Amino acid sequence: MIKIWSMKKNEDQAAKKKPKTSAAQIRVQKDLTELDLPPTMKTHFPDPADLLNFTLTITPDEGMYKGGSFVFQFNINSNYPHEPPKVKCTQVIYHPNVDLEGNVCLNILREDWKPVLNLNSVMVGLQYLFLEPNADDPLNKEAAEELKRNREQFIYNVKTSMRGGTIKGVQYNKVTP
Amino acid sequence: MKVHIKHWHAIAQWRWDIGKNDEDDDGEGDVCGICRVPFEGCCPSCKMPGDDCPLIWGECTHVFHMHCLLQWIGTAASKQQCPMDRRPWVTAERKVDAGNPR
Repeated sequence: MIKIWSMKKNEDQAAKKKPKTSAAQIRVQKDLTELDLPPTMKTHFPDPADLLNFTLTITPDEGMYKGGSFVFQFNINSNYPHEPPKVKCTQVIYHPNVDLEGNVCLNILREDWKPVLNLNSVMVGLQYLFLEPNADDPLNKEAAEELKRNREQFIYNVKTSMRGGTIKGVQYNKVTP
Repeated sequence: MKVHIKHWHAIAQWRWDIGKNDEDDDGEGDVCGICRVPFEGCCPSCKMPGDDCPLIWGECTHVFHMHCLLQWIGTAASKQQCPMDRRPWVTAERKVDAGNPR
């Protein structure tokens, strides 16, 4: 018993010397090894040593956003998983749930976040927005109105925006190859 | 035949009794849903597992590292809800009996 206690002291000291890996980093590492992404999603790490800042590219293979390539920036702070990752779209896109600054309206990125969710859940949630844009909770009100009023026109606008066209005075980024 | 024991090594193993009969029934072992570290490990802010980093049981039957759960409950965003099922978190007096349906 005495020996165990002295071992414990030694371990405490050893742990103090080691460079500290933050709780967020440990958790993100686990999330990343458990990622199970469909071929329509790819992550990219500009700095491979930095797991907390990376991009996700979504290329929907069905739905009205098919053919586009949408890039999201993920920034994870040290409170993860107690706080959700910060996710922004890096392009100006025409989508009811994404504003022109790239802010994304997805429930699990805001009020419905809980720490048992992981990066996989967030990524799958993002992809879902491109399959089922949601007009009830809009960040781009123009786009949401159009989706409610005239679905055909909305789909036409999506195609125009993805080619880099202009809708109601707003020029959108070209997201097609 | 006489046997003389010259050396012996005692080996002990411990687990938290979390009220589950079968191990690994979900295939991924028993990990804390918040930090994803096994219950028998410790939360990211602790260095030694065991009594220094105990578990906490909710009346909803969900189990977490106590430190992980308290940190979550301490955030405004948690609304004091269980991170699994969003029911109001009520700490159970003790673990739910293994025989009870979950």
